[in-house]
Amino acid sequence: MTDQIKEQISALLDGELPQNEMNLLVRRLERDAALRLAFGRYALVGEVLRAPGGALASAGFAERVSSAVAAGVSAAPSASAVAPSSRRRRATPMIGAAVAAGTLFAAVLLLVPEQGEQLQQARSVEPPAPVAADVEATGAASPTLARSQRMAAYLVAHGEYSTPIGRRNVWTGVLANDPGITRVSYEFSEAR
Amino acid sequence: MALRHARVLVAALGMAIVPALQAADSPRVWLERMTESLATRNYDGLFTHSAGEQSEAMRILHRVEDGRSVERLVSLDGSGRELVRTPEEVHAYLPDRRVVLVEPRKEDGSLLKAVPAPGPELELLYELEARPGHRVLGNEVRIVDVRPRDQYRYGYRLWLAEDTAMPLRSAVLDGDGRVIEQIQFTRLEMPAHIPASAVEPSVDATGYQWIRTGRRGNVRVAAVAGWRVRQAPPGFRLVASRFQTLPGVPVPVPHLILSDGLASVSVFIEPGPPSGPIPRELATLGSANAYTTTVQGHVVTAVGEVPQNTVRNIASSVVPETGAPPLDAGR
Repeated sequence: MTDQIKEQISALLDGELPQNEMNLLVRRLERDAALRLAFGRYALVGEVLRAPGGALASAGFAERVSSAVAAGVSAAPSASAVAPSSRRRRATPMIGAAVAAGTLFAAVLLLVPEQGEQLQQARSVEPPAPVAADVEATGAASPTLARSQRMAAYLVAHGEYSTPIGRRNVWTGVLANDPGITRVSYEFSEAR
Repeated sequence: MALRHARVLVAALGMAIVPALQAADSPRVWLERMTESLATRNYDGLFTHSAGEQSEAMRILHRVEDGRSVERLVSLDGSGRELVRTPEEVHAYLPDRRVVLVEPRKEDGSLLKAVPAPGPELELLYELEARPGHRVLGNEVRIVDVRPRDQYRYGYRLWLAEDTAMPLRSAVLDGDGRVIEQIQFTRLEMPAHIPASAVEPSVDATGYQWIRTGRRGNVRVAAVAGWRVRQAPPGFRLVASRFQTLPGVPVPVPHLILSDGLASVSVFIEPGPPSGPIPRELATLGSANAYTTTVQGHVVTAVGEVPQNTVRNIASSVVPETGAPPLDAGR
């Protein structure tokens, strides 16, 4: 993978890729499994950086992340693996540089909380759940749960483009309903 | 002579003032006032949300400080789910799933343009009416009826406080006037100040899975990644498009947003499964419907606070951009 492609992926994730390059990259992602893997890695790093309360993760965590990425995973790692708190924090510029260089695991292992917070030792972190288990929750292994989460994701994203009254209705539905879908019906005639 | 001049002047003033007063009392102005109040005022309220046989108690807090608004919506029954919307992100806390969905936001001019607003064209699609109503929560209210002129959109009945235009009660109605979903406040306070701590999530998300469901995708009116809606129901136009990441999907997917000025529909286009077409699926959640189908190897889902036939119509009209005619504005 060329540096240009790496930069394009990074720019895409930041919403800064020009429209023409974005279309080309998305088409290439659909065709190229290796590129999807790389995209998953970059997305994963982004998730870790954005997860609340960045902290030192165990070496085993890196190994599990590696396995998950190799399995073509794009979901975020378990928040427990990075010792979250209820507040979101940003990582230091050092992390950004590490990401730019593509050093995934170095970035994961060197997360430094902002505002001078103390690094937590790996042993103090709750043992991370296997990433694969988290992925299962968002993937196809549990269709009802996956469908519920997917529907919630659709509605949360969609709510941003509703009127205030429409958004309140849609988001209230997300909070009020479990598993999020009150009625599902299937149409088994051949799809186009 | 002087008297005649005065009479002419008064008559002229009257002719100017009466339409102005009528305009100020028009349903569209009431909708605009409501939209402004919801976005710019501080409020803290309890309400019940009813859909079908389900009813839930909710709390909403909206805090505006230095032009920055933060909203927190909390389910007070059972699940303890919360949704916090800041200018940067939306966090949906789902304690029953031990999941937090994170949707980045980009509050710039392009996004604001994409959010539907009640413009003059609204009355081509909806019949609007405003009339005095009975008291709600001790407030004089104005009832605003928004009745769809066809079967592609829902209607609304809004009970707006006369002084603030805040919706104290609202109902979503189907084409036959039946209530699909209803929100009714049991308490609503509008304090001058709401502390920042009140809009912090109460959920301890330690150990939760954090799923970033969106990216800072560029909001553009142009179609993205070669997909468009060939023929939308009357009045629905493409207002924005961007890329969106979704849980379990390895690539960012095109997200098209269509609106008729009041209702909106999102279309997500995902790579299809290797096993071939999936069954078409229709899901309902309160007043929102979602329809999923397969188009040329891609899974297309349309979701919005519109009737089932509208999401089905839109999802089924999605085509690759090449050779497709422009989006039909439907008028």
